[in-house]
Amino acid sequence: MDVSEVSEVSGKPLTDPTVVVDEISVVYRTKNQSGGRTNAPTSGLKAWRASRRGDAQVRTTALSKVSFVAHQGDSIGVIGRNGSGKSTLMKVLAGLIIPDEGTVYAASNPVLLGVNAALITSMSGAQNIRLGCLAMGMSHAEVDAKFDDIVEMSGLEHEIYHPMKSYSSGMGARLRFAIAAAVDPEILLVDEALNTGDAQFKDRSKKRMEQVTNQAGTVFVVSHSLGTITDMCNRAIWIDKGDFIMDGTPEDVAKEYKNFIWRINEGNADYGRKIRAELMASLPEMRTTLLPNGWKRSR
Amino acid sequence: MSIKEQAEAPTVSVPVNLARLSKVGQRPDLLDYLVQLWDRRSFIYFDARSRVASGHDKTNLGIAWLVLTPLLNGLSFYLIFGLLLGTSKGIDNFIGYLLIGTFTFQMSTRSITGGAKSLTSNTSMIRAFQFPRAALPLAVNVRELLSNIPVTIVMLLFIIFTAPAEVISWRWLLIFPAIALQFFFNLGIGMLLAPLLLRVPDLGMLLSFVMRLWMYASAVFFAEDRFDNHPVLRTIMDYNPVYLVIKIIRDSVLYDTTPSWRTWAVLSIWALASVAVGLIVFWRGEERYGRV
Repeated sequence: MDVSEVSEVSGKPLTDPTVVVDEISVVYRTKNQSGGRTNAPTSGLKAWRASRRGDAQVRTTALSKVSFVAHQGDSIGVIGRNGSGKSTLMKVLAGLIIPDEGTVYAASNPVLLGVNAALITSMSGAQNIRLGCLAMGMSHAEVDAKFDDIVEMSGLEHEIYHPMKSYSSGMGARLRFAIAAAVDPEILLVDEALNTGDAQFKDRSKKRMEQVTNQAGTVFVVSHSLGTITDMCNRAIWIDKGDFIMDGTPEDVAKEYKNFIWRINEGNADYGRKIRAELMASLPEMRTTLLPNGWKRSR
Repeated sequence: MSIKEQAEAPTVSVPVNLARLSKVGQRPDLLDYLVQLWDRRSFIYFDARSRVASGHDKTNLGIAWLVLTPLLNGLSFYLIFGLLLGTSKGIDNFIGYLLIGTFTFQMSTRSITGGAKSLTSNTSMIRAFQFPRAALPLAVNVRELLSNIPVTIVMLLFIIFTAPAEVISWRWLLIFPAIALQFFFNLGIGMLLAPLLLRVPDLGMLLSFVMRLWMYASAVFFAEDRFDNHPVLRTIMDYNPVYLVIKIIRDSVLYDTTPSWRTWAVLSIWALASVAVGLIVFWRGEERYGRV
């Protein structure tokens, strides 16, 4: 409990920030395949005109003006409904997507563990371990030193020498987690990866995440299981349709989130929206001041 | 509880110490980029080497197809152009001429198409790990260079063992600088095309068509003087870098003549310009590649 007080956005942080997210917005532009019409076919000319009018592109706001600060030793759960921008946030934090607006500052390169990040399936697990580690900037000697640990962490045995296309989805996810966790990242991002593993794997990955936070690192966990988040995290943030709704202890955020979902499911969407708006309005506004390189922090 | 606290203090000032924190995912400057790329050299080499082996996993003959494909290509060209259409007239040692043409051109085809598709076909790697993306086209080109080693050896063996016999001289060593220049040229074109292909995937469809036209302009299976009556085509061919590579190898291996300095100069300019432009274009787009 006392850790969460330290990491509260309000008040003076006692530890150095590891990640500062400054007003980031991400907008996806995708082609509208069906032209918005799936029933009777109209004349080609009409369809052509419709596409000329510019409704062929769909703009989806995945994140709008999200700001927060993460500190050393934080493990932050990210919750929200499907399509609320959680995975996009992880990709932005990892530097895989550059936001349309805003900036992310981090103490070191965050490492993302996702379930959709397939490795090269025609190669064996062992080769993928080496390839992934080298891609993250390790040397052959470092890979050799860590190889056994990674295999153990992944829980794979002789399967490690089989091509990855023969793996079950859970085995693949475990291998990916083990590879990404091998670099001793200061900032670890876990995107839904925990949902795929079995109980034994969950235990191992939890230990690994604790190790990161104990070494003054920061962990972000995206999960739909509120239990996982209250179990593993000391702080939670709630994102809904790209808006940053709430930041607090996992218990508080989970309570409000459950309440919100319950209202919506009850059919009382207006009340749900009211909760959402109130929570958003009570968020503190964050302003970043850049301290130039090499200068001492001025108080 | 915490919400109330926050409501009382609506603005929080966060100092960002740039000495400790840096922007995430921002493209480094060109020199840093090259240093990062150099740091990933073992990744590039490992990726290239393991894909040489796994690239032909689905076939029974495996790596043998590296040699069989250009050989069969050469055979079909020999049947059609050499025997049926008679383009072999006036060419000394047509079989050697044809073999060098098809084998050498194949390396460019494979490297350029592979390099151009290196971003679109590696989205999973791009999504999973943060590394300088130029490592991908570079790995494709290194892979093709590696797989070109057995191919070149087989090509030379064929030339030695099929009549007429050639003079083996120091000039055979000129193959190495020629292939090195070809490597840099292919790499540059691949890096130039890869970001384009990511934005306009349709270009990938056009690529094989363009490569075929390019092959016809490279005198792979007909005499070089065929276009002498068409000054425009002749000029295009004279400045066609892949043709120049083929010409250098033919001159030094088949005809025991030292390739002219002009050929070397034009090819070197192509190679250097292509790598320089390709690298800069690729580096400038670096931030966009994750967004797929």
